[in-house]
Amino acid sequence: MSTSGETEPRTAALQAELESVKRREAEYRVKMIQEFLDRGERNTYLHTLREERAALIKRDQEASADLEILTRKIEEAEAKIASLLSEREQAPAPKGRWGKAEPKAAAPAPTPTGRTPVPGAPFTYYLHTSPFRIYRESAFTLKGWAWPEDGRPVTGIRVDVDGNLYPGTTGIEEPEVVARYGVQAQNPKPGFGVTFETPPGRHTFSLEAQLANAEWRTIMRTTIWCEPAPR
Amino acid sequence: MSEADAQQRWRTSRAPLGDRSAYKKVWELQSQDMDVASLAVAGHTDLATLELTARGTIDMLKATVGIGPLDVILEIGCGIGRVGLPLSKECLHWVGTDISSGMLRHAAARLKDRPNTTLVELSTVGLQEFPVDSFDLVYCTIVFMHLLEWDRYRYVEEAFRILRPGGRCYVDNFTVDTETGWKIFMESSSYPIDRRPAHISMSSSREELRTYLTRAGFAEVRVHDLANGLIAATGRKPEAGA
Repeated sequence: MSTSGETEPRTAALQAELESVKRREAEYRVKMIQEFLDRGERNTYLHTLREERAALIKRDQEASADLEILTRKIEEAEAKIASLLSEREQAPAPKGRWGKAEPKAAAPAPTPTGRTPVPGAPFTYYLHTSPFRIYRESAFTLKGWAWPEDGRPVTGIRVDVDGNLYPGTTGIEEPEVVARYGVQAQNPKPGFGVTFETPPGRHTFSLEAQLANAEWRTIMRTTIWCEPAPR
Repeated sequence: MSEADAQQRWRTSRAPLGDRSAYKKVWELQSQDMDVASLAVAGHTDLATLELTARGTIDMLKATVGIGPLDVILEIGCGIGRVGLPLSKECLHWVGTDISSGMLRHAAARLKDRPNTTLVELSTVGLQEFPVDSFDLVYCTIVFMHLLEWDRYRYVEEAFRILRPGGRCYVDNFTVDTETGWKIFMESSSYPIDRRPAHISMSSSREELRTYLTRAGFAEVRVHDLANGLIAATGRKPEAGA
């Protein structure tokens, strides 16, 4: 026969166990409710927020697309100006007042890249963070995925800003890309990320990939503008 | 916005009485400004009074249906989260529902530091977003006065469905046979007949609330005369096999 001194600790232990079971049961119900809401999320406030987020992303993408078009137009105009200037250079020099030829303008200094210009190459790629933007911070990380259409492995990635090279990281998993395009034999993890500095001003920018530990090829090239963040 | 401006906007709602059933439209309109939203759900705009009245509601819930630290609680028509903010500190999880996403936006800002809360926008009258037998307590306070009777009952039925066996239900409204209730009644009566807004407050009787809970299947149905002059009806969902 047990005494009250023996039963009290047992009762306390049983009560603690009962509390624990009740807590687990309540936590399970909360989890079940959340899962239920996730499945039927079209009616939830979370869904409203997701829709708003999707709309903002879409607006951001549209703004980037507009900026891309504008950038391309500026680049075309610049190419045309360069071509016209070149034509003027080629044209017979006008005679000066004393019959002497005007001195020729000095040739532009070579770009200080210290390497062979990179030719373009067909890539399948996507940039999660659009390079077509006004850069406000002192550095920016470009993220995306890419592989060359000839199937060679991408063994390196870098960004060239006005000849300054910024190495990046390759081999980042992109499960959604793999699910959509299938596994690329030589590029099973096609994601990459490159952080580069964005000093104020206008710069030439190119994203480049190294193929099979050998040559570097250009994925895309454009002009970028960097401005300090407004105070 | 001044209290007077908020009062003016609240009283001269653009939604006419004929739109009363269009709850989403009516309450999205009222939720556009935090002060008007606060006035619409609590009758005042200042934070201190908001907290004080929330504490009063929690005390009423404790006195009528009880609140435990392991309770999973749902509020019908939570508005800006007036009650949810303090109540979430006293229960396991609090779910706030409202037909207006604008109201929930204000609530989300107030509840941003409360991880044990969830906000759900109701698509229409009812709680179809939730599974059966899920909650320990479902309550609805200062909401029935803005609903038509059929919709009041719909929420009580839905509360019964989503409560776990043994779960508790609380609903309240004003009634015309108390001083507070009569004051609200006369305020509503002061609107010009052709300018009564959709959200105008309409009373319940004790028997009306008792009938809703009884018809929905609740046991231990009680009607309470509350200290703030409102009436509340409470009930318990019978245990399985009871």
